[in-house]
Amino acid sequence: MPAKGAQGVEDPLTIAGREFRSRLITGTGKYPSFEAMRDAVIASGCELVTVAVRRIDLDDVGEAITDWLPEGVTLLPNTAGCQTAEEAVRVARLSRAGGLPDWIKLEVIPDPRYLLPDGEETLRAAGQLVDEGFTVLPYVQPDPVLQRKLEAAGCATVMPLAAPIGSGRGLKLRNAIEIMVEQAEVPVIVDAGLGAPSQAAECMEMGADGVLVNTAIGQADDPPAMARAFALAVEAGRAAHLAGLIDESHEARPSSPITGLVTS
Amino acid sequence: MNVVCNGKPVELESAATVERLLAELGLDGPYALVERNGQPVERERYRETALEEGDRLVVARPVAGG
Repeated sequence: MPAKGAQGVEDPLTIAGREFRSRLITGTGKYPSFEAMRDAVIASGCELVTVAVRRIDLDDVGEAITDWLPEGVTLLPNTAGCQTAEEAVRVARLSRAGGLPDWIKLEVIPDPRYLLPDGEETLRAAGQLVDEGFTVLPYVQPDPVLQRKLEAAGCATVMPLAAPIGSGRGLKLRNAIEIMVEQAEVPVIVDAGLGAPSQAAECMEMGADGVLVNTAIGQADDPPAMARAFALAVEAGRAAHLAGLIDESHEARPSSPITGLVTS
Repeated sequence: MNVVCNGKPVELESAATVERLLAELGLDGPYALVERNGQPVERERYRETALEEGDRLVVARPVAGG
């Protein structure tokens, strides 16, 4: 029988009752051009892409990102730039009123150096937005206690950071995220800090339900090629998780028989 | 009529609406998001929402972001 090689993973990622074939979510920031962004989104195979919401510069309107996004992808507006729950709720309401989806990637970030989210404000905003009918995907520090509170508040996912946004440092906060994965009642999407496809695969092997990647793709020399590399890594990592990884051993365990040696 | 849009004064004909403001600014695409005096305006009400002298408006849209 020939080896089957890599196969598509059939199990969908389900968020708030909606199924996604791809477990990779991509951001649209930091690309050298809208064209590169569009090509990378297509190459990634992702179905959900994040966007920020900003005032239009009336003196320089420029092009709209929505003219460049491939058909069929769903926009996930974020609240990047908001430092309080009130600001985040305001942006979410504006987005939905104007016709964007009622899904919101909730970010409340008061710290400009490490861009670490404020869990207390995030929880407050999440409760408010869930009450108003939003599907809330909060960006959080890996905190299993906060995770429980966000789940109880009705969040559709929790999105812990692997490392600071844009840092490319990889799965630095693995131990806490592992606990989150173990006790999760809603999908755990690792968001931020991944720099290489191998790191995305590591998240998926660990049991994360998905990953969100932006900078590592947008700032690559060839964004569409890197998008495809991340897509493959996410698929490989998920397949490995489902296949069941072996337990680690400190000592070697021979792969060949230790008896019947030719030289014995 | 004078309103303030994204912090800048804008002069409009009388009887202006949110929809006419967006058309005048060349922003009548599918994703112009509007806040009037701190309150979000529902897209389906852009046509009927009349502006008043001194209104403060925010017009936003989706942009590249992570």
